[in-house]
Amino acid sequence: MVSFLLQIITMSAPLILMAMAGYMSERSGVINIGLEGKMLAGCFICAAAGAHFGAVGGLAFAILACIALSLLHWSLTQMYRIDHIISGMAVNLLASGFTGFMDSSGIWKTTLTDSQRLPLPMYYAIAVISPFLLFAMAGRTQFGLRHKSVGSDPDKARLLGIHPQRVRFSALIMTGVFAGLAGSLLVTETSGFTKEMTSGRGYIALAALILGGWRPIPATAACLLFGVAKAVQIRFSGTPIFNFDIPSEIWNMLPYIVTLLALAGLLGRNRTPAGLGKH
Amino acid sequence: MKARVPILFACGILLMIGSLMIVHAPIGEAVATIFQGSLGNLKKISGTIKEMTPLLILGSAVYLALKAGLFNIGAEGQYLVGACFACQTMVMVPGPVGVGLGCLVGIVTGALWALPAGLIKAFRNGHEVITTIMLNAVAANMTKALVAGPFKGKGQLVPSTAVLPVNSQLTPLFTFRDLEIPQSFVIGIVVVVGLAYWLNKTVAGYELKASGANPTAAQFAGIKTKQVTVKAMLMSGGLAGLAGALQVAQFEHRFYDGFATGYGFDALGVSLLVGSNPLFLLASSFFFGLLNKGGTALSLIGVNKGITMVVLAVVIVMFAAVRYGRKQVNHG
Repeated sequence: MVSFLLQIITMSAPLILMAMAGYMSERSGVINIGLEGKMLAGCFICAAAGAHFGAVGGLAFAILACIALSLLHWSLTQMYRIDHIISGMAVNLLASGFTGFMDSSGIWKTTLTDSQRLPLPMYYAIAVISPFLLFAMAGRTQFGLRHKSVGSDPDKARLLGIHPQRVRFSALIMTGVFAGLAGSLLVTETSGFTKEMTSGRGYIALAALILGGWRPIPATAACLLFGVAKAVQIRFSGTPIFNFDIPSEIWNMLPYIVTLLALAGLLGRNRTPAGLGKH
Repeated sequence: MKARVPILFACGILLMIGSLMIVHAPIGEAVATIFQGSLGNLKKISGTIKEMTPLLILGSAVYLALKAGLFNIGAEGQYLVGACFACQTMVMVPGPVGVGLGCLVGIVTGALWALPAGLIKAFRNGHEVITTIMLNAVAANMTKALVAGPFKGKGQLVPSTAVLPVNSQLTPLFTFRDLEIPQSFVIGIVVVVGLAYWLNKTVAGYELKASGANPTAAQFAGIKTKQVTVKAMLMSGGLAGLAGALQVAQFEHRFYDGFATGYGFDALGVSLLVGSNPLFLLASSFFFGLLNKGGTALSLIGVNKGITMVVLAVVIVMFAAVRYGRKQVNHG
């Protein structure tokens, strides 16, 4: 039972951190399909820098790299006004291409020894606390309200004297921090970088965010739901339920199908931030 | 504002050169390898055409959706589903009849796979990119489960359908020494030309472009924009499914787990580089085919294919910056 609970935590903690990364960006109006790429870049840099500079250095560089990638996303969408989808795709392509290319060139070592890894409970604690922090931030702080307002209606926010671009700048820095944490967590669990190791977690986190109606705590609940589904899959794969062996692919499809149903309006109303993708 | 685009170009080029320099790859040699590996001799040109063929049809699919104001990232999933069901049809019905039937099945299943995204966009205002990303993931898992289970061919060790009977495999239309022009390539050109005609010379094409350019204005002009959205998604999915079916019939001859190698995403790049004239799809998909083929040659000299993805990202961003830079609105 304990191992099963641990499995759930292992599966959902990176998703929660990624969903929070997505929350910061999407709630401020920047569509972020680049989450996958940011997480992957975080993984690679954490592994490469961790092997070189030690545990703390790995995390620090991972966060810095993700912030840099997020700010690239910011400048493409806010300064150049390139479509958010195109720039998100470009971020993903860059991250996926660059990590694959660097990894196979082998000039940087990307496996970590035990002393080069920060303790996992630290990451889990951050994953547990951050949704509540963001929830408090959204409702109770000046930044939180501004963050929400530029995501809901950038034009009205402008009339109130808020600069959407500046608010989004800070929001995307936070996205980078969370993505760096999530990437580092993934690498700490597996103690090394492998190509495309995020395997769609960025998209699943985005799905969870949508399922949670772009709110931090429901999004966390959605992440936990997906984590449970995954843990059940690992636990019961190969053991037939009611004489029927469910292929693991069915379990893998589950998060996506649930999200599609949510988007189709079958699970509550559509809560998409009104200013998503607007300038 | 105007100085910014050149800065972006400079950064992009620096990024490409920088990443080659980090791994100590000679830049000149890398560029030469890309061109030699893709256009060096007739055999390599045939390889480039092979890479270009699915991109041509998938590019048309994504371009059509783009003209209606929709980002069909789901081309990858529609291509997979189309290819999977078309392949099973061609295995069950051998001969030319089966190929025709298979293409039809590919078109229908591809279109059906795009339908939820179209409906959710039109009637629930859910972003088509999100829905198609989800549909892609479902498609990848579903086709994997299908070829590992019900569609698995006899004697196949890996999850894969049976190999198509010889009389259902499309032969090259035209062969000159090592140069092969596949039939699906010709079909691809026909699709592009047909699309250009349809978009520019028919009422339906005009309505599609109008609702993509300005949905509100189109609605006031009496165009049923919601129906156009659904129709555009259906057509786009159908074309993507056709691309999958032809890929099976012409090149792969079977469907297996890992069939999609990112053509769907490349297709988005292909269609983004095309401006207002659909015929540029030919040039754009040629460029992507060249990079794909050249990238393979590059990996043989020890530079990973990832570098071509970096190049693509830079090129896409540059094109988008130039295009959007022109009609910039200045808000604070």
